[in-house]
Amino acid sequence: MMSNLTSTERARAMLITGAGVLIGLTMAAVGRNDPMGAHGWIVLLFCGVLFFIVGQKLYDAEPVEDRSVSYYDDPTKIGILLALFWAVVAMGMGVWVASQLAWPDLRFDAAWSSFGRIRPVHTSGVIFGFGGNALIATSFHIMQRTSRARMPDQVSPWFVLLGFNLFCVVAASGYLIGITQSKEYAEPEWYADLWLVIVWVVYFVLYIRTLARRNEPHIYVANWYYLSFILVVAILHVVNNLAIPASFSGAKSYSAFSGVQDAMVQWWYGHNAVAFFLTTGFLGMLYYFLPKRAGRPIYSYRLSILSFWGIVFFYIWVGSHHLHYTALPQWVQTLGVTFSVMLLVPSWASAGNALMTLNGAWHKVRDDATLRFMMVAAVFYGLSTFEGSFMAIRPVNALSHYTDWTVGHVHSGAMGWVAMITFGSIYALTPVLWRRETMYSWKAVEWHFWLALSGTVIYVFAMWNSGITQGLMWRTYTESGTLRFSFVDTLIAMHPYYIARAFGGLLFFTGACICFWNVVMTIRRVPHHTPAIDYPTTSEAMEPAVPAAE
Amino acid sequence: MLKTLLKPFARVFEFQAKTHYKMERHSMALTAGIILAAGVGGFVEIAPLFTIDDTVEDVADMRVYTPLEQAGRDIYIREGCYACHSQMIRTLRDEVERYGPYSLAVESKYDHPMLWGSKRTGPDLARVGDKYSDDWQVRHLINPRDLVPQSVMPQYAFLLETPLRTDDLPGRLDALRMVGVPYTDDMIANAANDALGQARPDGDRASGVLDRYGEATAVRAFDGQNDRLTEMDALVAYLQILGNLTDVAQNTQPMAEE
Amino acid sequence: MSVKDRDPLTGHQTTGHEWDGITELNTRVPRIVWFFIIVTHLFALLMWILLPTWPLVTTYTKGLLGFDQRDVVKQDIELANMTRADWADRIAAHPTADILKDPELMARVTGTAHQIFGDNCAGCHGTDAAGGPGFPSLIDTAWLWGGDTDTIMETLRVGINSTHLDTRYAQMLAFGRDGILPRDDIRLVVDYVQSLSGAAAPADRIAAGGEIFANNCAACHGENGDGNTDLGAPNLTDAFWIYGGDDKAMYETIWSGRQGWMPSWEDRLSLTERKILAVYLQHLGQAAPK
Ligand code: HEC
Ligand code: HEC
Ligand code: HEC
Ligand code: HEM
Ligand code: HEM
Ligand SMILES: [Ca+2]
Ligand SMILES: [Ca+2]
Ligand SMILES: [Cu+2]
Repeated sequence: MMSNLTSTERARAMLITGAGVLIGLTMAAVGRNDPMGAHGWIVLLFCGVLFFIVGQKLYDAEPVEDRSVSYYDDPTKIGILLALFWAVVAMGMGVWVASQLAWPDLRFDAAWSSFGRIRPVHTSGVIFGFGGNALIATSFHIMQRTSRARMPDQVSPWFVLLGFNLFCVVAASGYLIGITQSKEYAEPEWYADLWLVIVWVVYFVLYIRTLARRNEPHIYVANWYYLSFILVVAILHVVNNLAIPASFSGAKSYSAFSGVQDAMVQWWYGHNAVAFFLTTGFLGMLYYFLPKRAGRPIYSYRLSILSFWGIVFFYIWVGSHHLHYTALPQWVQTLGVTFSVMLLVPSWASAGNALMTLNGAWHKVRDDATLRFMMVAAVFYGLSTFEGSFMAIRPVNALSHYTDWTVGHVHSGAMGWVAMITFGSIYALTPVLWRRETMYSWKAVEWHFWLALSGTVIYVFAMWNSGITQGLMWRTYTESGTLRFSFVDTLIAMHPYYIARAFGGLLFFTGACICFWNVVMTIRRVPHHTPAIDYPTTSEAMEPAVPAAE
Repeated sequence: MLKTLLKPFARVFEFQAKTHYKMERHSMALTAGIILAAGVGGFVEIAPLFTIDDTVEDVADMRVYTPLEQAGRDIYIREGCYACHSQMIRTLRDEVERYGPYSLAVESKYDHPMLWGSKRTGPDLARVGDKYSDDWQVRHLINPRDLVPQSVMPQYAFLLETPLRTDDLPGRLDALRMVGVPYTDDMIANAANDALGQARPDGDRASGVLDRYGEATAVRAFDGQNDRLTEMDALVAYLQILGNLTDVAQNTQPMAEE
Repeated sequence: MSVKDRDPLTGHQTTGHEWDGITELNTRVPRIVWFFIIVTHLFALLMWILLPTWPLVTTYTKGLLGFDQRDVVKQDIELANMTRADWADRIAAHPTADILKDPELMARVTGTAHQIFGDNCAGCHGTDAAGGPGFPSLIDTAWLWGGDTDTIMETLRVGINSTHLDTRYAQMLAFGRDGILPRDDIRLVVDYVQSLSGAAAPADRIAAGGEIFANNCAACHGENGDGNTDLGAPNLTDAFWIYGGDDKAMYETIWSGRQGWMPSWEDRLSLTERKILAVYLQHLGQAAPK
């Protein structure tokens, strides 16, 4: 891979990783009396290893390939492998987290292994480590293919990918050491937040520069979604993470906002992390891999427009549905309810658009587990958005909030939608990227599919049961009009569901491990195969007038 | 009927589709469109929370966290207690009857960040202050299952062995002042001493805590060890102040009579 | 590809674009989508009119219903109090003995107390109220302050060694740590106290311990060691122990003293709730195997 970089590019890479080493060293030195010092060493190690890898190849021969006739796929390949690595780590963590709720002593006698510290390793690990890497990798692939253009340079994609992974490593290790801001899905401390801003700006610039080179007058739907993911996540991230560090030599910082304003900002962020990280990014994936795999045209361009702008506009308003009946003024809650309900239509429109695209390809869905992953993902996307809009209605939320129902909803979206579409895309992408004939084992894909599906179903049903049971028990009254159950009574009722959830999670996790294995075996064992056409070409597209409605 | 209702929507959409068709040829137009469309909602919902006065109640007796309590709060965050415990009693009958007066915005006015939580694996803690003894809290944190056999809460025995760091407290209070918590210079300068004093009722630093944070401030050996200042001291001091920074909720919401 | 292209399967036109082999149809937005757009927007509009919704710089639209979640919960609770009043008032008014004999009221008491006790007391006294190390059993016959309703209710109101201004104080001194008694004396008095509840020990030790007891302990625990409910000093002649009757626990009690902390419930539980708990405890005490 290094051999595809020119010597200038290698030098630039050394400069950047060298700077990283210095930053790490500074953090380690300044923060030596603080947990931040440990992060310094981690940054140092991370950048040091990269520095060394590049340095070894610094004087290798210049590459001879003609860049104009190929796409740049090396970062995509590494990104896919990283996504799978994080999937195994973070879902393994999920199983452990789930098991701790069933068997609370299932841990080491050490501070780092407590539920509160490993839970965010799971959540950040799956969302950012697994989801984020998958998004970055697939976006690199898709933006080049749908633009029929190679990325403009070869350093910035690596910077984005590896810089993002540095962020993930700092985040996950931080929770174990006890470094967290406590803001859900934005837990990393100020310096990690700042670093992510830099990475993200480079990502945006890279995306725009690639689009600018495109050989197709129009920008494909998938790119609209990826673009909205990059842009809005940037806005959310910056605002929600505004904070004042207690000291520049320490990790601790204090949010710029407090109390009710902080709650609103946090859930404006939190919900839209769901919307623009876990939804629009993955819709981008769906909009590319599903029609490609099915070999069918997108069902409706007009529906794409309607759902895209609907999602971008409506989603932002609904964060307050996380704060129903709280000290947040009620007017904001009303906005949250109404926009959540209106949001259902564009959400379902995009799920419907995907499913209708499968018309004429249902036999493929039956035979091809990869396409089935994508189909099931679209179904779960529809289910979880319906559920979400339902849970956003105040009286429903009165029951569901604070309970496992929310966790069930999360995982029907996260496992059923996010993870399924990612696995489907990875199976579709791997042979193309590595130029292989096929996946190593189709049987394993089939196994993975059923493990993932049954794991999700068991998990989600367990959590629905547990959540609704708990919610109802909290508000059950005796005939005297007094509360019937104590909190501990509900805890006892949860126990069997917690065991079931851990089991469902274990199935899902096993599937992810199989996927990783299958991808590695594909790379190592499956014979080479060059696809007919997978390189930048000029467009033959005519420029039609505004397409008329039929 | 449907057709007439539909007309305005269809017209807006036709316009939108046309505009979009032009936009999707320019990445920067798309960028601008996305920022605009996604900017409105957040602005409309967040900005007024700073300008509408009755968003946060005006309360005279609301006090700030002492350095020890704030240190405890930082430990609460570090350990991820918020992953299982909410600190927000909703305006619902069953919650008020179980946990006490519903939470008011002012009660988390000095909370940077807020810890309202989103999951109740354990009970709400918004009013747990003074609900149990210090000794109970310590024993519960050492091993919850000693006291509540069915509990799934993790053990935090190491807190009792870990000395509390106090040298960074002035910096922390100072940062909090920058984001709006009214700490005085005096409070910041004496932060480390006050943390020590609050956990040593017989020591000579104790009176300073009462001077600066009010006579009602709890000055006790929270972890049961008069000679050591541990993280357990801080966390228990924090738990015991939850719901007690102001009495406004108790005073304005009469108790449910049974 | 050109605009004119039609998808052979559906007969719809494509948009004429093609990206890496992907094309799009220009199918019109299905009716059903429009239908749901209208339904959801009408719902939203209705809510906006009826409920507080739109911010206006320093205030917000209040909605036609004049509805506020805080008023709603207040009304809910007032209503609940009213519907509970028929039996709650009777519990408040009747003497405990009568309530204990009234199966209907007792059903209310036990049904209600389960949650109140479970959420507030069980953490210390256990779900069965049988206590545990450091927390007295509430179903035995040994009471520190007295087991009648009024006394229990007062204990609940102010707590013991609590932060309440009128709290009951129960101070078992730290005889060893504060240098009042040397170690050997403490060992003697332990032997003596254990003998009060029937344990065997050499007679000379008991005698010596008895003397120390009379000089140091009797003031609170009584000459016979049977306790003093005015001071919350426990009876030391029975088989019930808060901290334990074995050598180690008792030595620790006398060396370091004990100041058990029972929280005050005045701000947390209403008068009637405290009465319910007091009755409930007596009911449990009656039912418990002695
Ligand atoms: C795995 C989830 C979990 C975590 C993490 C957790 N708790 Fe708990 N907590 C519980 C459960 C369940 C209960 C109820 C059973 C019990 O009392 O132990 C509880 C009860 C409590 C109570 C008693 C509340 C009451 O009113 O009875 C307090 C106080 C408490 N926890 C504090 C903490 C603190 C402080 C932390 C972090 C250092 C923490 N908890 C972390 C689950 C958790
Ligand atoms: C923080 C722990 C704790 C909680 C919670 C608690 N208690 Fe207690 N309680 C104690 C302790 C400790 C004592 C004994 C005090 C002493 O040792 O002097 C006690 C004593 C009592 C006594 C006096 C017993 C006697 O013999 O006179 C009663 C009655 C009582 N508790 C009832 C309750 C009830 C009812 C509740 C719930 C509303 C409750 N307690 C909650 C710790 C607690
Ligand atoms: C100032 C009054 C006072 C004096 C003097 C006193 N006690 Fe106590 N004692 C108490 C009180 C009050 C308690 C209950 C403390 C609690 O429950 O927290 C107690 C508890 C005890 C207990 C624990 C009982 C149990 O159930 O675990 C023992 C044993 C005991 N005292 C023995 C003694 C002996 C022996 C002496 C003399 C050397 C003595 N006490 C002197 C007030 C006193
Ligand atoms: C192996 C499969 C998985 C298991 C066993 C698992 C388990 C868990 C557990 C036990 C929790 C904590 C719930 C609680 O606090 O009660 C959790 C939370 C969460 N998980 Fe997973 N999970 C899995 C897969 C995933 C995936 C694939 C994603 C995302 C792509 C995901 C995203 C989340 C999120 C966002 C939360 C936080 C939910 C909230 O705060 O409400 N999980 N998971
Ligand atoms: C129309 C779309 C959706 C709506 C209206 C919606 C609504 C909701 C609601 C009401 C909650 C519960 C808030 C609470 O009571 O605390 C919630 C939680 C959550 N949802 Fe959704 N949801 C939608 C789609 C999704 C999708 C597709 C995903 C995921 C991949 C997802 C992930 C989550 C997560 C992670 C949480 C937990 C947040 C937390 O408390 O930590 N949602 N959502
Ligand atoms: Ca952050
Ligand atoms: Ca959550
Ligand atoms: Cu949401």
